[in-house]
Amino acid sequence: MKDNDQKIAEKLKKKKFSKIKTSVKNGIVYLDGEVNSWDEVIELGHAAGEMKEVKGVINNIIVKDVKEKKREKNLPKDTYNPHLPERADVVIIGGGVIGCFIARELSRYNLEIVLLEKESDVACGATKANSGQIHTGVGEESGTLKKKLCAEAWPMYDKITEELDVPFKRNGLLVVITKDTLPKIPSFIGNFISKYIIPYIVMRKGKDVGDKPRIIKRDELLRMEPNITDRALVAVFMPGYGIICPYKLTIALAENAIQNGTKVLLETEVRDILVEDKKVRGVMTNRGTIETQFVINAAGIFADEIAEMAGAKEFTIHPRKGSILLFDKEEEGYVNHQVSELRFPQDPYTKGGGVLMTVDGNINWGPTAIEVPDKEDKSVTHEEIEGIFEKYGFIFPNFPKNSVITYFAGLRAATYKEDFFIKASKNIRGFVNVAGIQSPGLTAAPAIAEMVLKILKDAGLKMEEKENFNPVRKASPVFDKLSVEEKKKLIEKNPLYGNVICRCEHVTEGEIIDAIHSPLPALTIDAIKRRTRAGMGRCQGGFCGPRVAAILARELGIPLEKITKDRNSNMFVGRTKSLLMEEDKCGQT
Amino acid sequence: MRADIVVIGGGPAGLASAVSAYKEGIKDVLIIERDMELGGILPQCIHDGFGNFIFGEMLTGPEYAQRYINELKKTEIKIKLNTMVLEIDSNKRIIAVNSKDGLLEIEAKAIILAMGCRERTRAQILIPGERPSGIYTAGTAQRYINIEGMMPGKKIVILGSGDVGLIMARRFTLEGAEVEGVYEIMPNPGGLTRNVVQCLEDYDIPLYLSHTITNIEGRRRVEGVTVAKVDSKMKPIKETERFIPCDTVILSVGLIPENELSKKAEVKMDPRTGGPIVDERMETSIPGIFACGNVVHVHDLVDDVSEAAEVSGKGAAEYIAGKLKERKIPINVKNGRNVRYIVPQIIRAEKFDKDIKFYLRVKEIEKNTRIVVSSNEKEIFEKKERIVRPPEMIKLNLSPEILNKITGNELTIEVKK
Repeated sequence: MKDNDQKIAEKLKKKKFSKIKTSVKNGIVYLDGEVNSWDEVIELGHAAGEMKEVKGVINNIIVKDVKEKKREKNLPKDTYNPHLPERADVVIIGGGVIGCFIARELSRYNLEIVLLEKESDVACGATKANSGQIHTGVGEESGTLKKKLCAEAWPMYDKITEELDVPFKRNGLLVVITKDTLPKIPSFIGNFISKYIIPYIVMRKGKDVGDKPRIIKRDELLRMEPNITDRALVAVFMPGYGIICPYKLTIALAENAIQNGTKVLLETEVRDILVEDKKVRGVMTNRGTIETQFVINAAGIFADEIAEMAGAKEFTIHPRKGSILLFDKEEEGYVNHQVSELRFPQDPYTKGGGVLMTVDGNINWGPTAIEVPDKEDKSVTHEEIEGIFEKYGFIFPNFPKNSVITYFAGLRAATYKEDFFIKASKNIRGFVNVAGIQSPGLTAAPAIAEMVLKILKDAGLKMEEKENFNPVRKASPVFDKLSVEEKKKLIEKNPLYGNVICRCEHVTEGEIIDAIHSPLPALTIDAIKRRTRAGMGRCQGGFCGPRVAAILARELGIPLEKITKDRNSNMFVGRTKSLLMEEDKCGQT
Repeated sequence: MRADIVVIGGGPAGLASAVSAYKEGIKDVLIIERDMELGGILPQCIHDGFGNFIFGEMLTGPEYAQRYINELKKTEIKIKLNTMVLEIDSNKRIIAVNSKDGLLEIEAKAIILAMGCRERTRAQILIPGERPSGIYTAGTAQRYINIEGMMPGKKIVILGSGDVGLIMARRFTLEGAEVEGVYEIMPNPGGLTRNVVQCLEDYDIPLYLSHTITNIEGRRRVEGVTVAKVDSKMKPIKETERFIPCDTVILSVGLIPENELSKKAEVKMDPRTGGPIVDERMETSIPGIFACGNVVHVHDLVDDVSEAAEVSGKGAAEYIAGKLKERKIPINVKNGRNVRYIVPQIIRAEKFDKDIKFYLRVKEIEKNTRIVVSSNEKEIFEKKERIVRPPEMIKLNLSPEILNKITGNELTIEVKK
């Protein structure tokens, strides 16, 4: 260990770290100091992370004259009051796809499992802004944990989605090679390499991860994607690629875990990890303290802060923002597969996104990859929007760009090693970091969960299989997807399925009520949106918003003014004057 | 289930067309309305200014709607409320749904499309920034205040000076909220002059022309917006950016005809209006499918909607009676100089025995103009307009006498200096 640290220290001396303070302990590099820009912070972090010997980078470098935005704390609300258990065998922090997958897998055993989520719903971080691709790992660097787990996990999705009743399609990825793939090489050589060499390299990479790729000549490519750019030369088709709705998967996992005994507490924020004798003893939250010997840190973008609470910080998370433009369903069919253009040189930290589609039929372009200092910065900038139009507009030049219905951003929880960090802490017994989960984290999630289970077993958690574990979770009915006969039957059973609330997506009152009273309750307008698609269409909730708010208030038994879009994002500031006056009068008499 | 005429939408267009078809002798008329009451957007438009042309009175929205509902009550027209049409096809078969009847399959002899329009959203104008709560389209905010009795915010910035935005600036002010200003990207207001005066000037609400919002801030709820002046190409000028703290952004950035059903029926669309191509009787490219109101093109005044809807009602009645004589090749109405669109886009009548009303919008403001109608390069009609503005629809009424001067299969309408 000491030798390794010395080696790192020597290497650090040779690199560009003169301006800042560096130190090394147990393979972890600590960076301290002040620089002029966030780009420099990232560059220095990566420079340390690139070294093979380095296990983690804790980057405490700050940018001159930049104040951090204050973060609000989540206080318990009177409208949602779940019971916090006094103790649990395992506490999972974070209700993203990773936390929920781990919860679901742990619910196979006779254990008390509690999952804590600070937002009003699961899937509220990187998960909800994910493009929903099931990768095969073909684009990942060899030797990384993310490549290994992704390659293991991608074939598992057919079974998982069948068990959990989550829509999933393997529509395949087209890696397109164009006249611009090698912009720095003269075109007569470039085109030759692009046509006759690159496809075979890509093919081999696809085979390495277990896919069955094939080369698609230009004629066939035009049949598969008639609207593709004239500059396309050839493509490689990766049939293993698929699409899934990331939040529907996560909600399904949480619901299945709940069915099998797991407790999921929303709006529950971790304030501290209690440690005694270098052993985890409990978790302190805004709702009180819960005793436990095992904590899974699946806190995504905040995983470094949670690790620090436990004294088990071995990495810093630097948010890398990805923005996506989403188009009207009306354009469904303009693109038939996921399409991404190969272009060199490649960005080392992103696969570059593509022209993708959601499992619900919306084409989407993106995501971008931008390092941001602020862990809550999910803004989509003008430059990003323009950049997306330019980059992906190149692949489909005549696409009707004015059919954008929304755009959004998520933050990838990257470490400076740019790989997953899944380990039991050596310092603090019972604390397991499941951090640095960036793309292809959604795909890798089932393999990550398996890995975490093994870590827990090795750490001494008694895992005894439940006899009555039920892996099957049934989704509630989706009116719009049913046949005429099925629709008729459903309405006969419950007339509320005949009352269409969201006009664009044809979501009925019955579905909204199902969402509110599901095992994991929908507490906000956005939670209903994620479960039912109400408000996800072209009018973006302009029509159904008021109606959904009214149903939510009625079903939860709370006044309309307490309805929020998401956590703490209130929809209203109060009542209008006339109503206030009426109420005042009532009060006087 | 069968019906002679099915009217899709019970707003002003649907009401007027149904009543007019009934008066023409078609008794088996069914209105399908997705909301819980008739009137479309009118019940939430509690300000006055409706009905000046049709009734010679200034009515509020609910009053205006009630006049037609009263007419309707005298008829045997059937109404299905809370009913959503899911599908229509070119054979005039309709699938609709509600909680009382379940799934309805209806065969119609004629259909009148009267679904109205919807508001453009933030994404259609690509405003960058975060996605907090507190961003509402003007119509949604209007519904919250006037129907639900809920206040969406206290400190308001309004983007776009369309009529609903102007009306809402006044409405928010009357409810005690502070409207910081109305920002309009164009160099001229988007709404009617009357509304600029009565809703902004009378309340000292500033109107910033050639301005736009360049960023929305707020993690949970809107905390503020950045606004900037724009140059002649409508690009924001960085140096003029300023931050305005506010809790609400109201968008009044245009309306889009709602034609998802029309497209399902494979009706031919006009990209200039965003609505179906119609002839002088408001018949679309599919025989027996008619359209009227904001589904065809967005109107300024409800009176115009009602008037055009009557034409479609009569047209549908004539269609069922089989009274129509169509010319072999329809007359194509061409957009001439400074004309953005014209409705109707084609004329099918073989003989002209009544007036045809044309509705058009110009591309840009122009003063001292003549609106000229010509056929085969010969002027057959002109109307002087002191000023033409894109937000104000121009109406031309052509009598059979003028229409009979048309030669060939083309008619051009243009704005001349």
